[in-house]
Amino acid sequence: MGTVHAKSLDPLPMHGRDLGMNPDDLSDHQEPEQEAKQEILENKDVVVQHVNVQGLGRTKEDLLGYEISDVFQAKNLIDVMKRAHVARQKLLRLGVFKDVEVLIDTSEGSDALPNGLDVTFEVTEIKRVTGSYNTMVGNNEGSMVLGLKLPNLFGRAEKLTFQFSYGTKETSYGLSFFKPQPGFFERNLTLNAYKVTGQFPWSSLKETDRGLSAELNFPVGWTSHSLKWEGVWRELGCLARSASFAVREESGHSLKSALSHTMSIDSRNSAIFPNRGALLRINQELAGYTGGDASFLKEDFELQLNRRLFWDSVLSASFWGGMLYPLGGQPSCIADRFYLGGPTSVRGFGMYSIGPQSEGDYLGGEAYWAGGLHLYTPLPFRPGRGGFGDLFRTHFFLNAGNLCNLNYGEGPQAHLQKLAECIRWSYGAGIVLRLGNIARLELNYCVPMGVQSGDRICDGVQFGAGIRFL
Amino acid sequence: MSLAAEAFVSQMAAAEPWPENATLYQPLKEEQILLSDCASSLAVQTYLKMCGLPVQVVCKTNAEFMSPSGKIPFIHVGNQVVSELGPIVQFTKAKGHSLSDGLDDVQRAEMKAYMELVNNMLLTSELYIQWCDDATAAEVYEDVSQCCQALSQRLGTQPFFFNKQPTELDALVFGHLFTILTTRLTSSELAERVRSYSNLLTFCRRIEQTYFEDKNS
Repeated sequence: MGTVHAKSLDPLPMHGRDLGMNPDDLSDHQEPEQEAKQEILENKDVVVQHVNVQGLGRTKEDLLGYEISDVFQAKNLIDVMKRAHVARQKLLRLGVFKDVEVLIDTSEGSDALPNGLDVTFEVTEIKRVTGSYNTMVGNNEGSMVLGLKLPNLFGRAEKLTFQFSYGTKETSYGLSFFKPQPGFFERNLTLNAYKVTGQFPWSSLKETDRGLSAELNFPVGWTSHSLKWEGVWRELGCLARSASFAVREESGHSLKSALSHTMSIDSRNSAIFPNRGALLRINQELAGYTGGDASFLKEDFELQLNRRLFWDSVLSASFWGGMLYPLGGQPSCIADRFYLGGPTSVRGFGMYSIGPQSEGDYLGGEAYWAGGLHLYTPLPFRPGRGGFGDLFRTHFFLNAGNLCNLNYGEGPQAHLQKLAECIRWSYGAGIVLRLGNIARLELNYCVPMGVQSGDRICDGVQFGAGIRFL
Repeated sequence: MSLAAEAFVSQMAAAEPWPENATLYQPLKEEQILLSDCASSLAVQTYLKMCGLPVQVVCKTNAEFMSPSGKIPFIHVGNQVVSELGPIVQFTKAKGHSLSDGLDDVQRAEMKAYMELVNNMLLTSELYIQWCDDATAAEVYEDVSQCCQALSQRLGTQPFFFNKQPTELDALVFGHLFTILTTRLTSSELAERVRSYSNLLTFCRRIEQTYFEDKNS
């Protein structure tokens, strides 16, 4: 089982402070207070005369103008409080302030109106540099991870992060620069430079990637889009002397220069245990037209639907799929293909151990689909309710999927047929634990079915940790 | 795999006969391969032809990364991968094919000595020619001459180094000399030095005709 490295998200862009709190909980908290005040103050007209921000150091004022300008529109006291609360959330999500407090007071001074109000945001800026040092142990390897973060670098919410990992087997590092558009935080640019190494024992493959990428994120209506260019120098090698010849043939250096676009719509109320809402993410990647050796068109999508049922249980259905189409007559590279199986995809099978293989090394496939149906319920008898117990769920699941190579000369009918034959599927039950707002751990009892020759199964108890689960 | 397991697998493989689809991998001939690699690859090809073992030559750009030791050429036989002349000779011996069985101990030691001479002198000079090109050139060419003189003396008027039968030494020498003679380089000094030994020239021609031109007929 590999190591899990969970990095906490900064307070951007969705939920403010990331203590696993649901925005639902926050608004629930506000309502009763406002009810009482509403009876007395509802009809009093006010004018917001000044909005101040106190406590600024290196943050540039023009950045904040956009976030707090709405407060001026307030017509009565309740409105002022609501808009001030929204402005506070917006200031926090910039990632430049540790704390924001709101002070509403009557105006003073020579130009004060009788119904004038002054709103003051008292902010505490985040430290200039934060560092972290961790050691990680896993998979016969130990490593030391050093992290350095410089938030709000030039005063307009830019952020520079550097991470360095020095291990007994591999060394990797990465530098990342994030810049949001002032006044429109959801539109931002990220530049990355990195070297990462990975070892994939299921394919007897090791991969070292040195790359650069530039990514632009922007929302369009309900959807959020991401455009990215990535240039990677990939080095593949055999992990062991006994690697199969098919993997040996892929060894060597190659260059990939790819443009990709992702569109996602997420209406779920939480990333980990959503009660409702849906997620749709569609991604395409085109490599080869901006240089490099790798030349392909890759499409993949992810769909998840959630619905609350009786007694606090949630029914969740997910569907993934993808296709890789090599261009220019060259065969696809093992590092670009899709993989299937394991505790985070079709449970009951070994990690990425479904589909085409050669002498025990899994080579991945050019097309796949996978589906899952889950019923999540709170722990039986609800121990630790309201606290620790809420981090757990029990779930009953049904997973299915297929991974294969398509013969692109034939028509779509033949493709669908090929994807529909030899379906692997599994069912079972287990316990899920939420880690922060991003990752989860699972311990399941699985029964794999539809096993084809060459697949490796993991029937019985299977443990999984990760960020993205089927 | 542990060493014991590897040895066991090698032993199992040794029992299998030479397959039809054995392949030899080297970098691309025109655009990529280096002088020294070309010589090594030709030596291995000659050796296998002398043993009568069929092998198909495939050129791949990532041949040196595919090789388990990082050196080329390497052969893919059954599901074994072996690289470089020394280990390949051992591998074929395990399968029962050998050219130096007929030699006695003294001759075998002599053969090994000459092979080391070729590796130290000719191979080093090829590496020198392809990577550097300066003041110590004079020394390099001297070494090449000395090596060729020793080989020429040993060969004398015999058809092969150990009289009637070809051995891996013949394959190695042919590989290097033929490559030096036929590759176009910035200076033809190296080829000139080799050409001055006429019995080595006839030796190369003879091997080429016996083992490489029979494809055309």
